[in-house]
Amino acid sequence: MARSITVLNLGKISYRAAWQVQRSLLQAHRNDSKNEKSFLSEQHPGDVLIICEHEPVYTVGIREREYSQDEERLKALGADFVRTDRGGLITFHGPGQLVGYPVINLKNYSLGLRKYVSSLEKVLIKTCEMFGLQGKTTKDTGVWIDERKIAAIGISCKRYITQHGVSLNCDNDLSWFDHVIPCGIKGKGVTSLSQELGRKVSLQETEPLFLNSFCDVFGCTLAADEKLAENIFLKADFIS
Amino acid sequence: MNKLLSEMRFTEEHEWVRQEGSTPHVTVGITDYAQDSLGDIVFVELPEVGSQVVEKDSIGAIESVKAVSDVYCPASGTVTEVNTELESTPEVVNTSPLEDGWLFKMELADVSSLDTLLTEKEYKDYLHGLE
Repeated sequence: MARSITVLNLGKISYRAAWQVQRSLLQAHRNDSKNEKSFLSEQHPGDVLIICEHEPVYTVGIREREYSQDEERLKALGADFVRTDRGGLITFHGPGQLVGYPVINLKNYSLGLRKYVSSLEKVLIKTCEMFGLQGKTTKDTGVWIDERKIAAIGISCKRYITQHGVSLNCDNDLSWFDHVIPCGIKGKGVTSLSQELGRKVSLQETEPLFLNSFCDVFGCTLAADEKLAENIFLKADFIS
Repeated sequence: MNKLLSEMRFTEEHEWVRQEGSTPHVTVGITDYAQDSLGDIVFVELPEVGSQVVEKDSIGAIESVKAVSDVYCPASGTVTEVNTELESTPEVVNTSPLEDGWLFKMELADVSSLDTLLTEKEYKDYLHGLE
């Protein structure tokens, strides 16, 4: 029987607020009485896939010592800069880029971390295929169209519950990537669905295809949960 | 190898603990199952030597293929040594998870806390249940 995952569309939301939502969902997953209950615990949200869009922000993973010199320089460009606990090096999120954060219990899918990451790559490749694009994976994690990176992946896992996720360039301004070596991979460029197809491909057009691909790869069904979304927007004091 | 395993205790977070004789000194690492499911390890974050650690707290992290997984403390005590080799060769955790890929050593606050951890057989049964 297919597992059900709740889709939570947070719209345009700051990176920090979206991360806080993930942490609240993570806490709600834990039945460990030692942990503080999150404001979402009463609702038993189960597995959730967050879809959203961010204002310009550069984020780094746990190997962040390499970027200690970059913070001020990047903030001066008008972006936020956040140090996170995910894997992967530096990346950029901004308007026009689809961001997906699955907060799921890997035990429900019998997936180890490596297989989970590869499943996310498959979701992104399937989404690109729906636009007639041939995405591929290489030894560098992420999804590529030839030598151009179209989607990035960086996640963390705490006692089987996942955090962070993927980003897929739809019609975002790619010049923000000029200021960094994306994901630490030198000599390779970035691209977007719009750039590859020579027409505007919006986040709104991409989202249903991404969700379909996610269902296919993870063997799940997706359903919205109005009450959960309401709860978050009404009760979360970290969302302005 | 069998002798090695039977002297060890395990956690549900796929850590192993090896006691030195019957002293409160132990070595901690992650199991073969863990390193296999993580993939190629590129970075290991270890606790500070001298830090007081509490059972079940997250005290380190392992990064592999864009994914970070927490390392949990198997028992309360004090960290006495960390495997500094892993800074330059984190992949040793993949190739030798039970020996050269050890993560840190600690002095247990209470030696009897080892009894609450899984035996080799219990860990194998646990793995079986995960499939």
